[in-house]
Amino acid sequence: MDEEYDAIVLGTGLKECILSGMLSVSGKKVLHVDRNKYYGGESASITPLEELFTRYGAPAPDQSYGRGRDWNVDLIPKFLMANGSLVKLLIHTGVTKYLEFKCVEGSYVYKQGKISKVPVDQKEALASDLMGMFEKRRFRNFLVYVQDLQEDDPKTWKDLDPNVCTMQQVYDKFGLDKNTQDFTGHALALYRDDDYLNQNALQTIRRIKLYSDSLARYGKSPYLYPMYGLGELPQGFARLSAIYGGTYMLDKPIDEIVYENGKAVGVRSGSEIAKCKQVYCDPSYVPEKVKKTGQVIRCICLLDHTIPNTRDALSTQIIIPQKQVNRKSDIYVSLVSYTHQVAAKGWFVGMVSTTVETENPEAEIKPGLELLGPIRQKFVTVSDYYEPIDEGKESQVFISKSYDATTHFETTCLDVLDIFRRGTGTDFDFSAVKQNLGDEDQ
Amino acid sequence: MASIKVPKQKVILCGEFGVGKSSLFRRFTNNTFVTASDRQSTLGLDHFDKEYSVAGRQLRLQLWDTGGMERVASITSSYYKFAEAAVLVFSLDNAASFHVLSQHLLDIVTYAENAKIFLCGNKSDLEGSTPQVTDADMESFCEQCHNLISATFKTSCRSGEGVHEMFEDIAQHLVEANRSRLELQSIHDTESFKVLPPDESTDPPCLC
Repeated sequence: MDEEYDAIVLGTGLKECILSGMLSVSGKKVLHVDRNKYYGGESASITPLEELFTRYGAPAPDQSYGRGRDWNVDLIPKFLMANGSLVKLLIHTGVTKYLEFKCVEGSYVYKQGKISKVPVDQKEALASDLMGMFEKRRFRNFLVYVQDLQEDDPKTWKDLDPNVCTMQQVYDKFGLDKNTQDFTGHALALYRDDDYLNQNALQTIRRIKLYSDSLARYGKSPYLYPMYGLGELPQGFARLSAIYGGTYMLDKPIDEIVYENGKAVGVRSGSEIAKCKQVYCDPSYVPEKVKKTGQVIRCICLLDHTIPNTRDALSTQIIIPQKQVNRKSDIYVSLVSYTHQVAAKGWFVGMVSTTVETENPEAEIKPGLELLGPIRQKFVTVSDYYEPIDEGKESQVFISKSYDATTHFETTCLDVLDIFRRGTGTDFDFSAVKQNLGDEDQ
Repeated sequence: MASIKVPKQKVILCGEFGVGKSSLFRRFTNNTFVTASDRQSTLGLDHFDKEYSVAGRQLRLQLWDTGGMERVASITSSYYKFAEAAVLVFSLDNAASFHVLSQHLLDIVTYAENAKIFLCGNKSDLEGSTPQVTDADMESFCEQCHNLISATFKTSCRSGEGVHEMFEDIAQHLVEANRSRLELQSIHDTESFKVLPPDESTDPPCLC
C-alpha cells in the first residue's frame, strides 16, 4: 500500500468501479480499496441467502428456500435501459464481454387499483385497456410527433419549439387526458414526480425516445437485467480497471483521508499511508463532506410465485404513478427470478421502492406490496440519500451521490460522467479503450 | 436465435500470484515467453479465443487470465461465472503455491459449479532433481479432492514444453463432456445474451 498513486478510489460500488475503470484506461495509476471483504458495496448482490438473512437479523432460512448459494439478491433494484447510458458505457469499454443479460419480460403501469401492460406493439396497443378508442388515436398522433421530431430541424417541431414550450403545452396540443399524461410521464419518460410538466419539453421528448429506442432493441420491454444479479456490473468494471493496471485491495479499513493545505494527498489505513493526487469515493467514506437530502425505502420480498396479473412473467417492472396513490413520487415494483440465477429454482425476488415522504415509510409502499400476492419473507431498508457538499475542486476529493430511487441507471451514469469531468477536467475518451485486448470479435 | 456456431468454452486460470498463469496465457495466445525481469505483471491481458478440432468437432477455447487481481485482493466472483473449465496452476519449484490450491479449488466449486477442473504444475524447467512438489503429492491431492480433478499436467512456459498438449487435452475433455449438452443448448431460445452495439438497420420503433 505504501506507494504513490494518481488516484485512490474508496468503495467498490458501481459508480466507483466505473470511475476506477475509466481512470485506469486513461493511463492513471489507480489504487482501489474497499473496507468490505466483497466487491460491490451497496451495489453488491448478496450471496449466499443465509448472508442476506443475517444482514437483516432474521433467523436462518429453512429448507424450502433451496440452496443458499443459488441466491444473489440485489440491495438496490435497477434495470438497464437497452439503449441507455450504461449499456453504451458497457459497449464502449468492452465490459459487456464479461456479462450476459436477459430482457425483462414485461413492463406494467398501475391505474385505478389494477395493473395494465405497457403496450409494446400495435396489436397490444389496440387491445390495451389503458385508454379509450379516441384517446388511443390522440396518443398515437403524439407518439408519431415524438418519433419524427428532430432537435435540429424546426420543420419537425409542428409550431411548438421544444426548447421553449413546456411539456404541459405539448400534451394540451395533442389533447391528451390526465391519465394518458400520467402514463406517458411516469411509465415512458420515467419521471418520479410531476415537476417535468412545467419544464421545457425537450427533456421529456428525449426520454420517451430513449424508452422506445430501448424497446426496439429486444422487443419485450426496454429493460435488461444481468445474469447473476446487478453485483456483476461493478465486478466487470473492476476487472477492466485491473487489466489496465489498477491495484485492488479488499477488507481494508480506511481510517482517514490525509490532507495538506486542504488538499487530499493520501489515504491512511492503520499505520500505512498510500499517497495520491486525488481521491474518489462514495459518501460512506466521507461523512463530513456530504449532506443528507432525502431518504429511500427499499423492500426486498422473497416470493414463491410470479406477480398476479402479469401473465406469469419471470421478470417484470410495475410503475405506480404518484397521483394514482396520492403521493408526490412514484412507487416502483420489480421482479427477477431463478431464470436470472438470482434465486433457487422456483423462487422470485420482488422489490418495492420509493422516495420517502412521511414519518411512516413502510406504510407508503403498501400499494406496491399488495400487488405482489403472498410474501414469504420481507426485508425493509430505509437509507439516507447523500450528496457531496462541494464539487471537490479544492480538496480533490470527488464524491458520488447515493443511489436514488429510479429503476434504471441513467442518473447513475450522469453522476459518474460528471465526476470524471470534474476530476480530470475532460470528458472520458472512449477511444482510449484498446479494442485488441484479447478481443474475440467474430 | 439458434444458429450453427462453433461452441465457445470459457477456460479460466486460477492459482497464486507468480506461478505463471499469465505466461500460460501468453503461450496460448501467441506462443511467446517473457522473462521475469522485463515482465510488467499482468497488465493488458484479458481473454483470448483459439479453435481446436477434436475428432472432427470444432471447439473454441476461450482462455481467461485473472487480470492480476489476486496480487493483493481476491478475484471477483464474476471471473468464475460461465466457466466450463478451470486450470489450477501452481509452481513446481514452490511448495507453498501448491498447498494453497484447496482454497482456489473451493472458489471454483462455489462460483463455477459445473466447470471441469485441471491441475497444472508449471515451471517444470526449475524442478531439478529434488522437486518441491512430487508426482506423488499431486496424486494424493487429486485423491483428497474426491476425483474432482479431471487431469493433471506439467508444463514449462519457458521452454513451451507441455503447454499445447495441455490445452489440446482440455479441449478433448470438454468435447466429450459437452457433447450431449451442446446439442441441447441450441433448442433453448431463452438463453441469455451479450449486448452488442446497435445495428443501424433496426426497424423504427413503434409504441402504438
